[in-house]
Amino acid sequence: MSLRLMVDGRVLTALVMLAIFVAATTMALGFPEKARLMPLMVGVPACVLAFIQVILEARKAGQELKGADQAESTDESEAHKALLLGDRHEEINMFFWMFMFFLGFLFFGFVYAAPVLVLGFLRYGKSESWKTAIYGAIGTGVVLYGLFEHAFEIPLFEGLLVEWFFG
Amino acid sequence: MDVGGIFESLWTILGSSQNLLMLFIAVPVGMFFGAIPGLGGKLGIVLCIPFVFGMDPMAGAIFLLAMHSVVHTGGSIPSILFGVPGTGPDAATIVDGLPMTRKGEAGRALGASLGASGVGGVIGGLFLLAILPLLRPVVLAFSPAEFFLLAIFGITFIAMLSGDSLSKGLMVGLLGLMMAFISLDPHTGTPRYTFGQLFLWDGVDIITAVLGIFAIPEMIALGVSGGAMSMVGKTGAKYGMGQVIDGIFDVFRHWGLTLRTSIIGAFIGMIPGLGGDAASWICYGHAVQSSKTPERFGKGAVEGVIAPETANNSKEGGSLLPTLFFAVPGSSGMAILLGAFVMLGIQPGPAMALTGMGTVWTLIWALMLANVLAVFMFLAMAPAFGYLSYVRGSLLIPFVLTLTYLGSFLSHRAWENLVLLTVLGVLGYFLKKYNWSRPPFVIGLILGPIAEDSFHKAMALWGPSFLLRPGAMIMIGLIVVSVTFYIWRTVKANNKKGEGHVAQAHG
Repeated sequence: MSLRLMVDGRVLTALVMLAIFVAATTMALGFPEKARLMPLMVGVPACVLAFIQVILEARKAGQELKGADQAESTDESEAHKALLLGDRHEEINMFFWMFMFFLGFLFFGFVYAAPVLVLGFLRYGKSESWKTAIYGAIGTGVVLYGLFEHAFEIPLFEGLLVEWFFG
Repeated sequence: MDVGGIFESLWTILGSSQNLLMLFIAVPVGMFFGAIPGLGGKLGIVLCIPFVFGMDPMAGAIFLLAMHSVVHTGGSIPSILFGVPGTGPDAATIVDGLPMTRKGEAGRALGASLGASGVGGVIGGLFLLAILPLLRPVVLAFSPAEFFLLAIFGITFIAMLSGDSLSKGLMVGLLGLMMAFISLDPHTGTPRYTFGQLFLWDGVDIITAVLGIFAIPEMIALGVSGGAMSMVGKTGAKYGMGQVIDGIFDVFRHWGLTLRTSIIGAFIGMIPGLGGDAASWICYGHAVQSSKTPERFGKGAVEGVIAPETANNSKEGGSLLPTLFFAVPGSSGMAILLGAFVMLGIQPGPAMALTGMGTVWTLIWALMLANVLAVFMFLAMAPAFGYLSYVRGSLLIPFVLTLTYLGSFLSHRAWENLVLLTVLGVLGYFLKKYNWSRPPFVIGLILGPIAEDSFHKAMALWGPSFLLRPGAMIMIGLIVVSVTFYIWRTVKANNKKGEGHVAQAHG
């Protein structure tokens, strides 16, 4: 399989599924007899299906690549490429923010991290006005601190850093 | 039938200020999630989970069920006013709802949809009440053999939920099943796929898995699309309250159709996997077929609004049945609700027929009351609901992400769930992007432990001959019928496509 095919998203997704099933089935072989029965009943057909899917996706992607190589560069295809590039940029941006939310909550907890992250996302991620971003941050803080911690009396996660430093 | 018990359950709601309050809050929240295209009931439940955490189980369950049951009532608003379905099953309402709006009958269409939703929801609940006495002995007669096959039957319905590709749908379902095995094996105590992590010994948290596979990918996709959630124009149609009330009366003018489509919808809801899309389109088809003037449909016939809307709401009553008594969710929305019930301490399953009938009746009442309440709330807040369709998606993303992470943490109070949520969120996004149907994942995750446990019990009791028990043979028959139906449907669709291509080539 060529490198260009491997990096096609559809093929890559099918490959990831195959890898998960192969790993899970291989691990199941090490379980006692009763414990491995169902994982193997599920894992083996899943591996076969995933393998077929990888081949199908690779063939489909291969045909499209061939077609794209043969086709002349037109204004329309250039516009399509630009659109895809824009989507990829937005995708990276959204993944960046998702990881920021994850890391923020993990290390600094909900009450401290959420208002900052909401403000950051609205102002810098989506170019909203300062007013909207600040209102959003205050609203989030009020819901988390006021509603959950005080009104509902549900203690929220304080973050690993707070736990490490203050016990 | 324990009539006293049924009305006692009604008093559980009406006599408790907390339960009543939950009902009053749930209805506008559910309509909100329905009215904003792209949100929907599934996301609604997962986002409300943090708010019901630690609440009295019954109050929490009433809130979530009531909210979920009126989502389609709100979903019909953008379908009728803008031609953009609030939720998938509301797409059928566009066919006649939008032409009515263009003819200047937006209020009448909204009233018809509202009345139909309310009546459909109530009939769905009554259908469930009526069928329970017949169902109870069936539930109690189920042995592990039948339960194993029932789980397999549920899994075959993955095929129905698989969208365009059966193999992709099956694989996602098998992934859900595989994830269900992450835990200490209940028979040998062997840790399976736990990687030395204590928090995985009890299994993967269903709420976290559902949030990861559904909520996070939706938000990333929304951000990538630029936050244009509804694609709705700048101005909506204007309508008067008189028109809305006239539309509500239309439902009673066509009482025969309303009754028939409500019962059809509730019946379809009982069949796991068929889902809301099937119910609304089948009922729309029935309305056309049974009409003396079918040529009016598609041009603004009010029956074309009534039929899908009654079905949308009545199917919720039907789908409660397999969800509560067999723990086999009737739809992907019900699968999430099932996970939420378990989190609240309500354990669906056959034991419900013995000790949990009070809970079942209370939930049925909640479903019916929510549908009635939705009608009055809509009348009171009609103009505001129309504006909901203009809400910018980008503004919702950070709040939804925050609630998603919060819900995942609160479901087990384990920070490790945040890591699992992120990993599943990334996987879920690519599954969504490359058209791998995601609902089968939830079905697999929920049915996995039922299938495994029942299989081992049946083998211990009867050996492989458990497959020859009469109940088991009936279940095997049902599995064969469902698979054959799927294959027949696919072949028929492919033939149609082929004929279309040939006609195009000749034309």
